[in-house]
Amino acid sequence: MSYAYLFKYIIIGDTGVGKSCLLLQFTDKRFQPVHDLTIGVEFGARMITIDNKPIKLQIWDTAGQESFRSITRSYYRGAAGALLVYDITRRETFNHLASWLEDARQHANANMTIMLIGNKCDLAHRRAVSTEEGEQFAKEHGLIFMEASAKTAQNVEEAFIKTAASIYKKIQDGVFDVSNESYGIKVGYGGIPGPSGGRDGSSSQSGACCS
Amino acid sequence: MKMDLVSGYKGVVGLVFGNENSSSNEDSYIERLLDRISNGKLAEDRRNAITELQLVVSESNSAQLAFGAMGFPVMLGVLKEERDDIEMVRGALETLVTALTPISHVKGSSNEVQPALMNSDLLSREAESISLLISLLSEDDFYVRYYTLQLLTALLTNFPQRLQEAILTIPRGITRLMDMLMDREVIRNEALLLLTHLIHEAEEIQKIVVFEGAFEKIFSIIKEEGGSDGGVVVQDCLELLNNLLRNNGSNQILLRETIGLDSLISILKLRGSNFTQQKTINLLSALETIKLLIMGGSETDPGKDLNRQANKTTLVQKKVLDYLLMLGVENQWAPVAVRCEAMRCIGDLIAGDSKNLDALGRKFLGEEPQVEPALNSILRIILRTSSMQEFVAADYVFKSFCEKNADGQSMLASTLIPQPYPMNRAPLEEDVNMSFGSMLLHGLTWGETDGDLEICSRAASVLSHVLKDNLQCKERVLQIEIEAPVPSLGGPEPLMHRMVKYLALASSMKSKDGKSGASRNSYVEAIILKLLVTWLADCPNAVHCFLDARPHLTYLLELVSSSSATVCIRGLAAVVLGECVIYNKSSESGKDAFAIVDAVSQKVGLSSYFLKFDEMQKSLIFINAGSTLTRKAFTRSSAASMADIQDEDENDLSEQGNLDHPILSSILNSYFVNLVTRLEADIRDQIVEVYSHPKINVAVVPAELEQKTNESDSDYVKRLKAFVEKQCSEIQNLLVRNATLAEDLAKTGGGQNSQSEQRVSGGSDRIQLETLRRDLQESSQRIEILKAEKAKVESEAIMYRNLAGKIESDLRSLSDAYNSLEQSNIQLEKEMKALKSGGSSTFPDVEAIRAEAREEAQKESEGELNDLLVCLGQEQSKVDRLSARLLELGEDVDKLLEGIGDDTGAAGDAEDEDTD
Repeated sequence: MSYAYLFKYIIIGDTGVGKSCLLLQFTDKRFQPVHDLTIGVEFGARMITIDNKPIKLQIWDTAGQESFRSITRSYYRGAAGALLVYDITRRETFNHLASWLEDARQHANANMTIMLIGNKCDLAHRRAVSTEEGEQFAKEHGLIFMEASAKTAQNVEEAFIKTAASIYKKIQDGVFDVSNESYGIKVGYGGIPGPSGGRDGSSSQSGACCS
Repeated sequence: MKMDLVSGYKGVVGLVFGNENSSSNEDSYIERLLDRISNGKLAEDRRNAITELQLVVSESNSAQLAFGAMGFPVMLGVLKEERDDIEMVRGALETLVTALTPISHVKGSSNEVQPALMNSDLLSREAESISLLISLLSEDDFYVRYYTLQLLTALLTNFPQRLQEAILTIPRGITRLMDMLMDREVIRNEALLLLTHLIHEAEEIQKIVVFEGAFEKIFSIIKEEGGSDGGVVVQDCLELLNNLLRNNGSNQILLRETIGLDSLISILKLRGSNFTQQKTINLLSALETIKLLIMGGSETDPGKDLNRQANKTTLVQKKVLDYLLMLGVENQWAPVAVRCEAMRCIGDLIAGDSKNLDALGRKFLGEEPQVEPALNSILRIILRTSSMQEFVAADYVFKSFCEKNADGQSMLASTLIPQPYPMNRAPLEEDVNMSFGSMLLHGLTWGETDGDLEICSRAASVLSHVLKDNLQCKERVLQIEIEAPVPSLGGPEPLMHRMVKYLALASSMKSKDGKSGASRNSYVEAIILKLLVTWLADCPNAVHCFLDARPHLTYLLELVSSSSATVCIRGLAAVVLGECVIYNKSSESGKDAFAIVDAVSQKVGLSSYFLKFDEMQKSLIFINAGSTLTRKAFTRSSAASMADIQDEDENDLSEQGNLDHPILSSILNSYFVNLVTRLEADIRDQIVEVYSHPKINVAVVPAELEQKTNESDSDYVKRLKAFVEKQCSEIQNLLVRNATLAEDLAKTGGGQNSQSEQRVSGGSDRIQLETLRRDLQESSQRIEILKAEKAKVESEAIMYRNLAGKIESDLRSLSDAYNSLEQSNIQLEKEMKALKSGGSSTFPDVEAIRAEAREEAQKESEGELNDLLVCLGQEQSKVDRLSARLLELGEDVDKLLEGIGDDTGAAGDAEDEDTD
């Protein structure tokens, strides 16, 4: 179980855009065409390597339905990364991105890395949202962007790893106080603490109510 | 709504605490205090008022009720608006805690109003107040956080769902609660209890709590507190842990995949040999965690099996078997309860998992040179322990090891080699070098001298696991022969015969002993019978071996109808008898299936034989239903009772008295019960089968009843007579049997009228029916043949009739032809006569010649006319062609032709005019 860092991810987005399938493709390397509706939240985990360091990803795949929102919101704050997913064949899932983003900005910590994913890019003939539109939205809101397919596995690895790389870079740049686990980052036993390791003195007292 | 409630409470106050004056005094006193708190000018006065209020509320139920009716808005007001005045906030919180805490010294009846519960209800109604309380957890003041946690815990105990819903809607609500785990010790301990209540039966909250890092925090607290040597806090931690893992696949995966199981397994690591009550409970709680992981997620989870498998594999990879063996087998000081739980965990861990089975099979315990296989050590526990619970737990390990593990069974069976007699006498304590088989055989024959068959029966239980569903092992063990205890008493006998002897010994001892030893020996008998049932199943050679000694059958028949045996014993004995029928391949007379059925029918009676099954079935179902209730959620109180297993053991023994021994419920496990149920159905069918197809001396073949082609009538009659004679004697035999059956039916059918009775007698009816049906079938078959023959003959007759008809008609046409020939002949004769009589017939000839000539002339003139016409046509066409040519050359044709023939020209003109 030794890892340099542990990152917590959440996967959010409208129901049916393929969140659970992306997770399954990433953790089990398989695709399940018919997937039960996610109830509440499902968990998955995988080890990856960034900069030669083992990094454990803990991923919580949330239910897209409105009725589970109060449960899924509980996961925003403690996550270091979020995969915001829409379906390139269903325009409305793209139109809802703004409200998802607003939800995330409101409940998550400000430094959360968000990756925008246009899923189902294998269904090019049914495309309803162009790649350029996706890029444009990501650019406007400061997100990383990728089109992916949970079915063909195209860009799935890349999406999760690129997000991790971005978080890793933020740690190197000293953006996070890694001793505070409420950012969704944990320094492992087998790893080397980041350069900001010594800065926790100031925040240890009021650790309970930082925001 | 709220107003109604409040006025309702006021009414209740008056009603319940009858004394109108005192309660109204109290009411007004509390009212005054509340007034001072909300409207007081001096801070000191308000603080005094709140302290006083808290005191009053803590004193009586009526004050709690009165406070509930009026106090909440005031208290919440303080909490909301006077955060700066820590003392006021503390006072308000303490008062609220007091109002929600039942006053214990009042022992009221159950239907009395519980003010603390009502107050909880009132406070938890508004989600806003919960949010307010959660926000107080961020206060710096220790007491504020402490009281707040207590308050929330009180609310959670009474209205868990309401609180769970409210906390979910509060942003960072759960995070705040989780932070309390890292707070000062007192707060942390409170928070542990609160979280345990919060996650109760709320899967999604369990996941959020884990997301917030609950596992890491729990394990770090356990480590801090000294692992299993720690106090009640460790127990609380483990209870929280168990509640997070119970039926929650997602959390189990997270623990396994990202935290790892090392921290959990290290709790099982023992330091020192001192086992306090608390340490016992802590270890039991940790073993419960292992068990929860082995059980996997909720039943509805599609990935349940995968998850369970992964948990088992990971646990064994992390060497959990070593720790469990240390706790359950090796450690001398571990309390029985811990040892039993550890062994049950081992059983669960290996059940149905080939890798883990191998891992256990390869384990060795002890230190050089005193090393032996772990399974041998567990067998020794079975043979030596004084605790029935421990025997059952160790037996469970063998059950799990042998089930669907033919290789493991063969490995164990291969060591079953009888040792020379003197070796058997070595005391068990010195047998580290003994093989599994020698130890088991030793155990099986242990009771030889002192007549105590308990150890023998335990060994028999292990042996039945080794033989279960494994024909090879059954055959192998059949070969084992045991020396007689005293060589002079005769030669060696098969192990199976020895076991039957012990069975007989056990039942005879019971009848001698009277009541005291009854329950004990009833399970000895049951276990040995279970061994026989398992052994004989699907194994004709075992049946043969069993029936080899004539007294066995007699004894078993007696046991089935013995009035001193329990329902269970009689039923199991009946099953063994049944196996002697269904797995009987013998054709030796007196030992074949038919002979056994006859013996049963004569000695026991078929219906009363079948009744034994029904009776046992009822009691087995009862036993099973009882045993499934034992698995419950683990709580502080149940943990304490678990630790006291040893005491219960003895109680159970004495309480059960006459009933079947409680041990039976674990020995006759569901696997065995299923086997027995299956066997029972087969036995019923087989016995009916045996009766409906009696061994027939005279074959009834309809074809042979016909007269053969070269057979004379007298021979045919002789043959038929012989046949009828044979059949007559056969019928005589069957009649005798039928009479026995009828007698049996009459004996049992009249007295009782239970359902099972009817079913059984229905069975013998079925036998009769079966034979009747066969007869019917036979005769109808013959009718069928006759019918076919008749049809054939009929069709032939029709054919012949048709043929005859045809020939008749041919004949008729021939005679017709003849008639017409005759007629023409007559006419010709007549003509001849007429010719002879004179010819006056020349006129017609002259006329004919004339007509001929005329015709000829006509033909000739016609031909000439035709020729003329042709010539004329040719001339005309010539004229036409020439005229056309002339026209081309510019000549006037009409003028040229004028005068050539006026007739023709005029005619041409006339024609021209006509066509115009």
